[in-house]
Amino acid sequence: MDTLFGKIKFGLLLAILAAVLAGAVLWALSIGTIKLPEAAIWQSIVDQLGSGLPVEAPRQSPVHDIVWLLRLPRLILAALVGSGLSVSGVVMQALVKNPLADPYILGISSGASLGATMAILLGIGVTLGEDFVGIAAFIGAFAVSLGVLFISNLGGRSNSVKLLLAGMALSAVCSAFSSFIVYFANNKEGMQTIAYWMMGSFAGAKWDSLGVIALVVLVSAAFFWTQSRILNLMLLGDEAAITMGTDLHAYRQAYLLISSLVVGFAVYSSGMIGFVGLIIPHVVRMVAGPDHKRLIPVSALTGAIFLVAADGLCRILIPRTELPIGILISMLGAPCFIYLMIKRTYSFGGGE
Amino acid sequence: MELLAEAVKLYLGKKEILKGIDLSLRPKEFLGIIGPNGSGKSSFLKCVYRVLEPTEGAIWFDGQPLDELSYRESALRLAVVAQHNSYSFDFSVLDVVVMGRSPHKRLMEPDTGEDYAMAREALGAVGLAGFEKREFSTLSGGEQQRVILARALTQGSECLVLDEPTNHLDIKYQLQIMDIVKELNRTVIAAIHDLNIAAMYCDRIVAVRNGEVVGVGPPRKLLTASFIRNLYGVDCKVATEPETGQMNIVYIPSHLKDSNTLRRIPSAEIQ
Repeated sequence: MDTLFGKIKFGLLLAILAAVLAGAVLWALSIGTIKLPEAAIWQSIVDQLGSGLPVEAPRQSPVHDIVWLLRLPRLILAALVGSGLSVSGVVMQALVKNPLADPYILGISSGASLGATMAILLGIGVTLGEDFVGIAAFIGAFAVSLGVLFISNLGGRSNSVKLLLAGMALSAVCSAFSSFIVYFANNKEGMQTIAYWMMGSFAGAKWDSLGVIALVVLVSAAFFWTQSRILNLMLLGDEAAITMGTDLHAYRQAYLLISSLVVGFAVYSSGMIGFVGLIIPHVVRMVAGPDHKRLIPVSALTGAIFLVAADGLCRILIPRTELPIGILISMLGAPCFIYLMIKRTYSFGGGE
Repeated sequence: MELLAEAVKLYLGKKEILKGIDLSLRPKEFLGIIGPNGSGKSSFLKCVYRVLEPTEGAIWFDGQPLDELSYRESALRLAVVAQHNSYSFDFSVLDVVVMGRSPHKRLMEPDTGEDYAMAREALGAVGLAGFEKREFSTLSGGEQQRVILARALTQGSECLVLDEPTNHLDIKYQLQIMDIVKELNRTVIAAIHDLNIAAMYCDRIVAVRNGEVVGVGPPRKLLTASFIRNLYGVDCKVATEPETGQMNIVYIPSHLKDSNTLRRIPSAEIQ
């Protein structure tokens, strides 16, 4: 990024990725049980934007309903969750200084699962409305993050190793309680619901909640972009950072809270979507290098493209059946990742 | 820059690591710290570069107490080359070196062409011109250490702290790194294991044992055979190399001290 040429090239890369994202959304809008021609999609988009009516206004065309009520909200959600998880993955890898970290590593996944399990099997939080499972998962995820922060600060300042250990410990506790509840609830249907929820899905996307999620994801990504200098220092470690004038302690706490807020919203809206937050940061590092100034925006766009494309594929791979997106991501993502790993001789920073 | 340490004590848990270190570092001085493993050399330096905080006592930079300076202010005055630097992510050499500009930057301020020019110049100074695009983790130990030195130079601070900077390096790189630092003509405080290297480069040497200063002085005055025996428990001969006039410390290991062995060696050479 040192030269003007480098800046132009980087700008061009972002523009291309944005165009690819738009293309992916358009493609995913057109496919599914009913295949829509592109002209009809454009027409429906233009009509809706020109009409000034609320999206849910009745008596509109079936194309309108498919585009605006079914497919577009879930694609926007997929893009937002993809961005949020990818950026969180980047940040989490810097926070714990470990290339194997993902957004869920500090116990967030087990916390979310415990929340969801309690909601589904014990009916905790039913009064919160139809989203109560998501809300309970959000609370579980966020509570565990706070717990991890608290524990890692006991007996001296927290550091990346203490964070990881606290995350593992709380994760074990939450999993144990989830299993305890599952075992004693003895509720087959509930267990199925939990299993389904754990696979993740964007089918529950609603315009109402998209605004908040968009705000959280976009603001946090912009925020972390401004923090790239400190994120870079985090990769060098606490001691080196201090000798270069920055005490990482407070930053680490703040980043962890913001990141878990993002992950909490992702979990709330679409369940557990694994793998994205682990592989996208690595794939982007292979292409754009480890400098967070590039890594954050490129990861945000790449993550969005990845989940939009995956959501599209989920709806067409098996006729008349929707494949849970978590399964597809792991099935497709892992081999692609291994291929990239071998081809680019990417060392995961292991060096040598 | 002047650095003053007064009665610096450090406890790690219940263990007393430093038992009251007094030390002064004068402007443009090359000060070496020697002492056996576990004597507290590195711990003291960590107090200076603020990774550890003295339990008691105080350290002053130019008359200002260290703990009243922000980390940024102290980073502007003093740059560090520590003994171990391994990064778990693949930064390029230039990325690593330009991070030395961090204390000069506000959070969102981008690195300018000027910063990169400084980084390139520092790389040239440590003999690594042309390494800019290489990945840090693919370099040899000596090259990595020189990159870290280049980063410290890029930091542009008056004082350099070297925390056993030449460990694991072969003799060529040990001399090279020390030469680069010596020629900078800055204020330097360095923990050094090799007494011959310490004698070669330091203006004064501070000897530390069990967390206490046991001797201070110019190499020739301080490093006598009896002093080294007391400090390390090792016998040696201190001589002056006739051609170069350098100090030469020759260690006498115990297997050679055995009188039988000593007598046997010349005869073995004759055969």
